[in-house]
Amino acid sequence: MEIEDIRGNFKPELIPKETGGDIDDYEEALHVLMKFIGSMSSALEQVSGRGANAIVYQAGKRMGHEAGKLMEKTDDVEKALWEMGEVLGKEFYFEMWKPSDQEGYTIESNGETSVKLLFSDCVVRQALRRTGLPQKGPLCYLLYGYMVGAVEEVMDIKGKLDIDHIGPNACLKTLTIKWGGK
Amino acid sequence: MVKINVDEDACVGCGSCVEDCPNDVYELDKEHGKTVVVNEADCMACLSCHEICPSQALEHEDIHVAKRLYIDRKVNKALEKII
Ligand code: SF4
Ligand code: SF4
Repeated sequence: MEIEDIRGNFKPELIPKETGGDIDDYEEALHVLMKFIGSMSSALEQVSGRGANAIVYQAGKRMGHEAGKLMEKTDDVEKALWEMGEVLGKEFYFEMWKPSDQEGYTIESNGETSVKLLFSDCVVRQALRRTGLPQKGPLCYLLYGYMVGAVEEVMDIKGKLDIDHIGPNACLKTLTIKWGGK
Repeated sequence: MVKINVDEDACVGCGSCVEDCPNDVYELDKEHGKTVVVNEADCMACLSCHEICPSQALEHEDIHVAKRLYIDRKVNKALEKII
Protein backbone atom coordinates (compact mmCIF):
# COMPACT_ATOMS: atom_id res chain seq x y z
CA MET A 1 0.00 0.00 0.00
CA GLU A 2 1.30 3.42 -0.93
CA ILE A 3 1.01 6.13 1.71
CA GLU A 4 0.66 9.59 0.27
CA ASP A 5 2.93 12.12 1.96
CA ILE A 6 1.07 15.40 2.44
CA ARG A 7 3.47 18.20 3.27
CA GLY A 8 2.88 21.84 4.17
CA ASN A 9 3.08 24.44 6.90
CA PHE A 10 0.79 23.75 9.79
CA LYS A 11 -0.34 25.81 12.74
CA PRO A 12 -2.20 23.99 15.51
CA GLU A 13 -5.20 26.29 15.47
CA LEU A 14 -5.83 25.79 11.76
CA ILE A 15 -7.87 23.01 10.26
CA PRO A 16 -5.92 21.79 7.22
CA LYS A 17 -7.71 22.00 3.89
CA GLU A 18 -6.38 18.60 2.97
CA THR A 19 -6.47 15.85 5.58
CA GLY A 20 -5.47 13.03 3.28
CA GLY A 21 -7.29 9.85 2.44
CA ASP A 22 -10.31 9.15 0.30
CA ILE A 23 -13.67 7.55 0.90
CA ASP A 24 -12.18 4.04 0.99
CA ASP A 25 -9.94 5.08 3.87
CA TYR A 26 -12.93 6.35 5.78
CA GLU A 27 -14.71 3.07 5.23
CA GLU A 28 -11.70 1.17 6.53
CA ALA A 29 -11.47 3.46 9.53
CA LEU A 30 -15.15 2.91 10.23
CA HIS A 31 -14.62 -0.84 10.24
CA VAL A 32 -11.73 -0.55 12.65
CA LEU A 33 -13.92 1.55 14.92
CA MET A 34 -16.74 -0.97 14.69
CA LYS A 35 -14.36 -3.74 15.72
CA PHE A 36 -12.96 -1.70 18.60
CA ILE A 37 -16.37 -0.67 19.88
CA GLY A 38 -17.64 -4.22 19.62
CA SER A 39 -14.66 -5.56 21.57
CA MET A 40 -15.05 -2.83 24.17
CA SER A 41 -18.71 -3.65 24.63
CA SER A 42 -18.10 -7.37 25.12
CA ALA A 43 -15.26 -6.64 27.58
CA LEU A 44 -17.51 -4.28 29.50
CA GLU A 45 -20.13 -6.99 29.73
CA GLN A 46 -17.54 -9.50 30.90
CA VAL A 47 -16.36 -7.21 33.68
CA SER A 48 -19.60 -5.58 34.81
CA GLY A 49 -22.23 -8.14 33.80
CA ARG A 50 -25.65 -6.58 33.43
CA GLY A 51 -24.35 -3.34 34.91
CA ALA A 52 -22.76 -2.76 31.50
CA ASN A 53 -26.19 -2.05 30.03
CA ALA A 54 -26.86 0.66 32.61
CA ILE A 55 -23.48 2.32 32.03
CA VAL A 56 -23.89 2.41 28.27
CA TYR A 57 -27.53 3.49 28.60
CA GLN A 58 -26.49 6.49 30.71
CA ALA A 59 -23.80 7.42 28.17
CA GLY A 60 -26.37 7.27 25.37
CA LYS A 61 -28.90 9.24 27.40
CA ARG A 62 -26.41 12.01 28.03
CA MET A 63 -25.66 12.22 24.30
CA GLY A 64 -29.39 12.23 23.56
CA HIS A 65 -30.01 15.11 25.97
CA GLU A 66 -27.23 17.10 24.34
CA ALA A 67 -28.61 16.42 20.86
CA GLY A 68 -32.14 17.22 22.06
CA LYS A 69 -31.01 20.71 23.06
CA LEU A 70 -30.46 21.48 19.37
CA MET A 71 -33.96 20.39 18.42
CA GLU A 72 -37.15 22.39 18.53
CA LYS A 73 -39.21 21.76 21.71
CA THR A 74 -42.62 20.20 21.17
CA ASP A 75 -45.25 18.18 23.01
CA ASP A 76 -46.27 16.37 19.83
CA VAL A 77 -44.72 12.86 19.82
CA GLU A 78 -44.83 12.43 16.06
CA LYS A 79 -43.19 15.83 15.49
CA ALA A 80 -40.49 15.04 18.08
CA LEU A 81 -39.76 11.72 16.37
CA TRP A 82 -39.58 13.40 12.98
CA GLU A 83 -37.03 15.90 14.38
CA MET A 84 -35.00 13.05 15.84
CA GLY A 85 -35.09 11.20 12.54
CA GLU A 86 -33.56 14.27 10.91
CA VAL A 87 -30.76 14.39 13.49
CA LEU A 88 -30.01 10.66 13.51
CA GLY A 89 -29.95 10.68 9.73
CA LYS A 90 -29.44 7.77 7.42
CA GLU A 91 -27.22 5.77 9.73
CA PHE A 92 -30.10 5.22 12.16
CA TYR A 93 -33.02 5.19 9.80
CA PHE A 94 -36.26 4.56 11.68
CA GLU A 95 -39.98 4.90 11.06
CA MET A 96 -43.08 4.63 13.19
CA TRP A 97 -44.71 1.23 12.82
CA LYS A 98 -48.08 -0.23 13.72
CA PRO A 99 -49.81 -3.57 13.34
CA SER A 100 -52.30 -3.57 10.46
CA ASP A 101 -55.35 -3.68 12.75
CA GLN A 102 -54.27 -0.66 14.84
CA GLU A 103 -55.64 2.71 13.74
CA GLY A 104 -53.04 5.31 14.61
CA TYR A 105 -49.36 5.05 15.49
CA THR A 106 -49.79 6.15 19.09
CA ILE A 107 -51.63 4.36 21.90
CA GLU A 108 -52.76 6.21 25.02
CA SER A 109 -53.26 4.34 28.26
CA ASN A 110 -52.96 5.19 31.98
CA GLY A 111 -51.48 8.63 31.32
CA GLU A 112 -48.82 7.17 29.02
CA THR A 113 -48.37 7.36 25.26
CA SER A 114 -46.59 4.59 23.42
CA VAL A 115 -45.41 4.34 19.84
CA LYS A 116 -43.60 1.53 18.03
CA LEU A 117 -40.41 2.40 16.18
CA LEU A 118 -38.90 0.25 13.46
CA PHE A 119 -35.16 0.78 13.09
CA SER A 120 -34.03 -0.35 9.66
CA ASP A 121 -30.52 1.01 9.30
CA CYS A 122 -28.46 0.97 12.49
CA VAL A 123 -24.74 1.44 12.91
CA VAL A 124 -24.88 -0.40 16.25
CA ARG A 125 -26.36 -3.50 14.58
CA GLN A 126 -23.65 -3.32 11.94
CA ALA A 127 -20.92 -3.02 14.56
CA LEU A 128 -22.28 -6.02 16.47
CA ARG A 129 -22.55 -8.17 13.38
CA ARG A 130 -19.11 -7.04 12.27
CA THR A 131 -17.74 -8.30 15.59
CA GLY A 132 -19.93 -11.40 15.76
CA LEU A 133 -21.74 -10.23 18.89
CA PRO A 134 -25.44 -10.82 19.60
CA GLN A 135 -27.90 -7.96 19.37
CA LYS A 136 -29.69 -6.65 22.47
CA GLY A 137 -26.40 -6.41 24.43
CA PRO A 138 -24.85 -3.31 26.04
CA LEU A 139 -24.12 -1.55 22.77
CA CYS A 140 -27.81 -1.52 21.86
CA TYR A 141 -28.41 0.39 25.09
CA LEU A 142 -26.42 3.28 23.68
CA LEU A 143 -29.12 3.86 21.10
CA TYR A 144 -31.95 3.30 23.61
CA GLY A 145 -30.37 5.85 25.92
CA TYR A 146 -29.88 8.26 23.05
CA MET A 147 -33.49 8.05 21.90
CA VAL A 148 -34.85 8.39 25.43
CA GLY A 149 -32.50 11.30 26.25
CA ALA A 150 -33.43 13.17 23.08
CA VAL A 151 -37.19 12.62 23.54
CA GLU A 152 -36.99 13.70 27.20
CA GLU A 153 -35.17 16.87 26.21
CA VAL A 154 -37.44 17.78 23.30
CA MET A 155 -40.73 17.02 25.05
CA ASP A 156 -39.80 17.65 28.70
CA ILE A 157 -41.22 14.29 29.76
CA LYS A 158 -39.96 10.98 31.12
CA GLY A 159 -39.43 8.30 28.48
CA LYS A 160 -38.44 4.67 28.16
CA LEU A 161 -37.65 2.41 25.24
CA ASP A 162 -38.25 -1.34 25.22
CA ILE A 163 -37.16 -3.85 22.62
CA ASP A 164 -39.97 -5.85 21.07
CA HIS A 165 -37.97 -7.72 18.48
CA ILE A 166 -34.50 -7.80 16.98
CA GLY A 167 -33.79 -8.94 13.45
CA PRO A 168 -30.91 -8.83 10.96
CA ASN A 169 -32.72 -6.26 8.80
CA ALA A 170 -34.81 -4.29 11.31
CA CYS A 171 -35.52 -4.01 15.04
CA LEU A 172 -38.82 -3.04 16.61
CA LYS A 173 -38.89 -0.95 19.77
CA THR A 174 -41.64 0.64 21.83
CA LEU A 175 -41.15 4.17 23.04
CA THR A 176 -43.26 4.99 26.09
CA ILE A 177 -43.79 8.54 27.22
CA LYS A 178 -44.92 9.38 30.73
CA TRP A 179 -46.57 12.76 30.78
CA GLY A 180 -46.11 15.18 33.66
CA GLY A 181 -42.48 16.28 33.42
CA LYS A 182 -39.16 14.68 34.29
CA MET B 1 -47.14 -3.88 1.37
CA VAL B 2 -44.38 -6.48 1.59
CA LYS B 3 -44.75 -9.48 -0.72
CA ILE B 4 -43.37 -12.77 0.57
CA ASN B 5 -42.60 -15.75 -1.63
CA VAL B 6 -42.09 -19.24 -0.22
CA ASP B 7 -40.12 -21.71 -2.33
CA GLU B 8 -42.26 -24.78 -1.73
CA ASP B 9 -39.64 -27.14 -3.11
CA ALA B 10 -37.07 -25.83 -0.66
CA CYS B 11 -39.30 -25.57 2.44
CA VAL B 12 -38.84 -28.59 4.71
CA GLY B 13 -41.78 -27.67 6.93
CA CYS B 14 -39.72 -27.29 10.10
CA GLY B 15 -41.95 -24.46 11.34
CA SER B 16 -39.03 -22.32 12.51
CA CYS B 17 -40.31 -19.27 10.65
CA VAL B 18 -43.77 -19.73 12.22
CA GLU B 19 -42.20 -19.85 15.68
CA ASP B 20 -39.76 -17.02 15.12
CA CYS B 21 -41.89 -14.41 13.37
CA PRO B 22 -43.07 -11.90 15.99
CA ASN B 23 -46.07 -10.84 13.92
CA ASP B 24 -47.64 -14.22 13.08
CA VAL B 25 -47.08 -13.82 9.37
CA TYR B 26 -46.77 -17.58 8.71
CA GLU B 27 -48.73 -20.69 9.52
CA LEU B 28 -47.73 -24.29 9.00
CA ASP B 29 -49.91 -26.20 6.57
CA LYS B 30 -49.75 -29.56 8.35
CA GLU B 31 -51.34 -31.45 5.48
CA HIS B 32 -48.65 -30.43 2.99
CA GLY B 33 -45.86 -29.93 5.51
CA LYS B 34 -45.05 -26.45 4.21
CA THR B 35 -45.24 -22.94 5.60
CA VAL B 36 -47.87 -20.57 4.21
CA VAL B 37 -48.06 -16.80 4.37
CA VAL B 38 -51.25 -15.79 6.15
CA ASN B 39 -50.62 -12.23 7.33
CA GLU B 40 -48.33 -10.34 4.96
CA ALA B 41 -49.82 -7.03 6.11
CA ASP B 42 -48.03 -7.26 9.44
CA CYS B 43 -44.58 -8.08 8.08
CA MET B 44 -42.05 -5.42 9.11
CA ALA B 45 -39.17 -6.86 7.02
CA CYS B 46 -36.99 -7.66 10.03
CA LEU B 47 -35.84 -10.80 8.16
CA SER B 48 -35.55 -12.94 11.29
CA CYS B 49 -37.33 -15.63 9.28
CA HIS B 50 -34.58 -15.53 6.64
CA GLU B 51 -31.96 -15.99 9.31
CA ILE B 52 -33.67 -18.96 10.92
CA CYS B 53 -34.85 -20.80 7.80
CA PRO B 54 -32.50 -23.77 7.27
CA SER B 55 -33.30 -24.04 3.57
CA GLN B 56 -33.35 -20.42 2.41
CA ALA B 57 -36.90 -20.89 1.21
CA LEU B 58 -38.11 -17.35 1.87
CA GLU B 59 -37.95 -14.23 -0.24
CA HIS B 60 -39.25 -10.74 0.53
CA GLU B 61 -39.97 -8.49 -2.45
CA ASP B 62 -39.28 -4.79 -2.61
CA ILE B 63 -38.26 -4.13 1.00
CA HIS B 64 -35.85 -1.61 2.54
CA VAL B 65 -32.57 -3.53 2.76
CA ALA B 66 -30.54 -2.29 5.73
CA LYS B 67 -26.94 -1.24 5.11
CA ARG B 68 -24.42 -4.00 5.76
CA LEU B 69 -21.01 -2.38 5.53
CA TYR B 70 -19.57 -5.19 7.62
CA ILE B 71 -19.69 -7.67 4.77
CA ASP B 72 -17.69 -5.60 2.30
CA ARG B 73 -15.03 -8.08 1.17
CA LYS B 74 -12.53 -5.44 0.08
CA VAL B 75 -12.60 -3.70 3.43
CA ASN B 76 -12.49 -6.96 5.35
CA LYS B 77 -9.41 -8.05 3.42
CA ALA B 78 -7.64 -4.81 4.30
CA LEU B 79 -8.68 -5.21 7.92
CA GLU B 80 -7.38 -8.73 8.29
CA LYS B 81 -3.93 -7.21 8.71
CA ILE B 82 -5.01 -5.11 11.67
CA ILE B 83 -7.47 -7.24 13.60
S1 SF4 C 1 -39.48 -10.41 8.04
FE1 SF4 C 1 -39.93 -10.45 10.25
S2 SF4 C 1 -42.08 -9.82 10.39
FE2 SF4 C 1 -41.71 -10.36 8.24
S3 SF4 C 1 -42.28 -12.49 8.06
FE3 SF4 C 1 -40.09 -12.49 8.53
S4 SF4 C 1 -39.93 -12.64 10.76
FE4 SF4 C 1 -42.05 -12.06 10.27
S1 SF4 D 1 -38.15 -22.03 8.34
FE1 SF4 D 1 -37.90 -22.39 6.13
S2 SF4 D 1 -37.97 -24.60 5.91
FE2 SF4 D 1 -38.79 -24.16 7.95
S3 SF4 D 1 -41.02 -24.02 7.60
FE3 SF4 D 1 -40.21 -21.94 7.39
S4 SF4 D 1 -39.83 -21.70 5.17
FE4 SF4 D 1 -40.06 -23.89 5.56
